[in-house]
Amino acid sequence: MKSTSLSLALAVAALSVAPGCATTERSRTLNNPAVPAVAMAQQVCSNCHGLDGNSTSPNFPRLAAQQPEYLASQLTQFRNHGRSDPAGFVYMWGLSRHLSDDQIKGLAAYFAGQAAVANAPGDGRYATQGKSIFETGIPANSVPACGVCHGAEGHGTAAFPRIAGQHADYVVKQLVIFQQTEQRPQGAVMKTITHALTKEDMRAVASYVQGLR
Amino acid sequence: MGISRTTRIAAAALAATVALTAGYAYAVPAFNRQTGQNCVACHAGGQYPDLTPYGRLFKLTGYTIGERAIPLAGMAVASYNKTKDTGSPDPAFDKAATFPKDGNLIFQTASLFLAGKVTDNVGGFVQITYGNYDSQSPSDSHWTGHTSSDNLDVRIVDRFIRPGSDLIVGATLNNNPMVQDPWNSVPAWGYNVVPGSSGPAVTPLIAGGLAQNVAGAGGYLYWNKTLYAELAGYRTANGIWSFMSQGFNNDIGNMAFVKGYNPYWRFALTHDWGPHSAMVGTFGMNAKVYPDSLDPTGSTNNYRDTGIDAQYQYLLDPHALTVTASYIRERVNYADSVAGQFHPLDPDGTLGLPLTNSSDTLRMFRAKASYVYYARYGGGLSFFDISGSSNAALQTSAFDPSNPGTLLDGSQSVSGSLSGSPATRAWTGEIFWLPVQYARVGLQYTMFDKFNGGRSNYDGFGRNARDNNTVFLYLWASY
Repeated sequence: MKSTSLSLALAVAALSVAPGCATTERSRTLNNPAVPAVAMAQQVCSNCHGLDGNSTSPNFPRLAAQQPEYLASQLTQFRNHGRSDPAGFVYMWGLSRHLSDDQIKGLAAYFAGQAAVANAPGDGRYATQGKSIFETGIPANSVPACGVCHGAEGHGTAAFPRIAGQHADYVVKQLVIFQQTEQRPQGAVMKTITHALTKEDMRAVASYVQGLR
Repeated sequence: MGISRTTRIAAAALAATVALTAGYAYAVPAFNRQTGQNCVACHAGGQYPDLTPYGRLFKLTGYTIGERAIPLAGMAVASYNKTKDTGSPDPAFDKAATFPKDGNLIFQTASLFLAGKVTDNVGGFVQITYGNYDSQSPSDSHWTGHTSSDNLDVRIVDRFIRPGSDLIVGATLNNNPMVQDPWNSVPAWGYNVVPGSSGPAVTPLIAGGLAQNVAGAGGYLYWNKTLYAELAGYRTANGIWSFMSQGFNNDIGNMAFVKGYNPYWRFALTHDWGPHSAMVGTFGMNAKVYPDSLDPTGSTNNYRDTGIDAQYQYLLDPHALTVTASYIRERVNYADSVAGQFHPLDPDGTLGLPLTNSSDTLRMFRAKASYVYYARYGGGLSFFDISGSSNAALQTSAFDPSNPGTLLDGSQSVSGSLSGSPATRAWTGEIFWLPVQYARVGLQYTMFDKFNGGRSNYDGFGRNARDNNTVFLYLWASY
C-alpha cells in the first residue's frame, strides 16, 4: 500500500471521529470548567464506579443513590486533600484537583440520581451478628446502632451517607480508617463509634450492610 | 529483526541470555502528572506494564483522561546478569562475544518518553531508547551505545455513552504489532518485559519480529466493556513513515522489509465481576517479509501467525494478582531464495546434508502469574515453551557424515543447535520490591529445561540446556 493511501486511511479515520473534537459533551478533560459533569461522570468516573454508579469492583465504592451532600463533600475533601486515606489520594486527589464547585455539584447530582442496584448478598455466617450491630449496636461496649444515623434501611440522610448496598470490603476498610487513623477528619465522629469494634464486628456489620437494598 | 526465520536464528546467536534492550515501554510518569493519580491506578499493584481495568480504559480512550501536562518522562535500567556456565570446550568459542558483560553490573538502557493527552480525542506515547551496549566494534571489541525509535502508539478516539450502551471507537498509528493492545497476555506487554531479562531466542514474527520496522494503522472498537475488535495493516516504516523506525535502517541491514500492506486482527471478550477481571481473545497477522531487506524484490517469506490468549486479574487492595497465558502458532512458507538451500555447514552440497525447508511451523506457549502486595512487594512465575519443525537452516552444529563423532568445521558452540529444532523451554521465578512507585528492584532466576532443540549436548560440544540458567538482578527507575 502506498504512503498516500495509508495517509488517506488515517485521514478518513480521523474525520470519522472528528465531530467529537468540537464539543465538550464527550470530553475526558478534568481541568476545564466548561465540561459538563455528566460528561465527566460518563467518560471518567464510570471507569471505576460504573456508568450508573453501581461499581462492580469492591475496590471502588458504589455511588448510586448516595446522598448528594455527602458526594459533594467527599469530592471537595479529595480536592483539598482533607481526606487522605490511601484509596483517596491514590485514585481521587489527582482526578478531583481542578474540578469546579459546579462540577462537583453536578457529579453529586448525577450519582445521587442513579438507582441503586442490589449488591451480592452478604456473607451468611455474619447475618445475625451484623444485623444485631446495625440495628442495636453493641450496648455493652457503647457502640451505637448504625441505623440511628444512617437510617433504618441504611439509605442515609443529608448529614450521613448511604451505606446500604455498599461493598463490604470497602466498608471494612473505611471502618478501620476511622478507628485507627486521622485520615478522614470529617468522619471523626466515627472514631468514637468504631472504637470498640473488633475486626469480626466490622466484617459482620459490613457484610450486613452490603446486603441492604 | 524479523527478516527471515533463518536470519532471526542467526541474529539470536546470543540465545536467550542476550539483553533485550529495546522494544518495551512502561509506566509513564507523564501520565501520572496528567491524571494526578498514582501508578497503581493504571498498573496492577504498581507493577508496570501490567494494566488494571482502568488502565486499559485509559489506553483505549487514547491516553486522554486528565489534563494536558508536560508530556515528558524518562526511565533507566541498571542490571546484573550471571549465566551458570559461560565456558565451552570449543577452542573457537568467544566468551566475550557470546556473554558480553556477564557478571558485571551495567547501566543497560534508558528511554525518553513523549507521552500524553493532546486534545480531547488525541493522545499517545512515543518512546526513544538508548541501548548502552548496542554493538561491538569489530576492531577493538569496544561497546558502543545506540539511540533508536522504540514503541510508538498515537490514537484518535471517541467514546459514545448512553444508558445501557458504551462504545469506544478509535484509530491507532503504531510501529509494533500488538503494542496497541491493552492486555498483558500479548507478546509486546506480557513477558520478559524487564529490559535485559531472559526469554526465548526464537519467537513468532508477531512477537516483536517487526517491532520498530513497520508502520501500522488500525481501527478498533470496545463495546460495553465486553467485546473488543480491531483490524490493522502494517507496511514498512520507510519514506514518510521512517520517523517510526529511526535507528533501524537498511544501511546497516537490520530492518525487516515487508511487502505491501500486511493485515492484523484482534478480538477479545472481557468480563469484570467483583474484584475479578477476565479476558479471552484471539489475534493474528499475515506478513510477507523479503528475505533480504537490502534487496526487497522477488518472492517473500510468508508468515501466518495465529494466537489465542487469556488473562485473569484479582485486584482488591492490597492484593494484585495477574495471570496470563498465550499460545501462538506460526506457519511460514519461505521465499524461493530461502527454501531448498544447501545446509549452512554444507554450502556446496558436497556432504549430502539435508536441504533447508520450504516451510516451517513454530509454536509458542507462554504463561505468567504475578502477585503484588501493597504495591510494594511482589513475585511471579513465568514459563515458556517453544516448539516447531526442525530445519537444516537452524542446524548450526552438525557431525561430519563421513567421520561420525566429529563436528564439521564452523559448528557453533553454546548458541548452536545440533538438531535444527527451535525447541526451548524455561521457567523464570522473580521477586521484586517497589521502594517507591517510580522504582523497582527485582531478582529473576531462569531455568532452561530445553535449549535449541535439546536438554543435553544441544550444541554438539556437550553443553546442556541448564548451563544457560541465568540470574538477573535489575533496578528499573522512571521519572
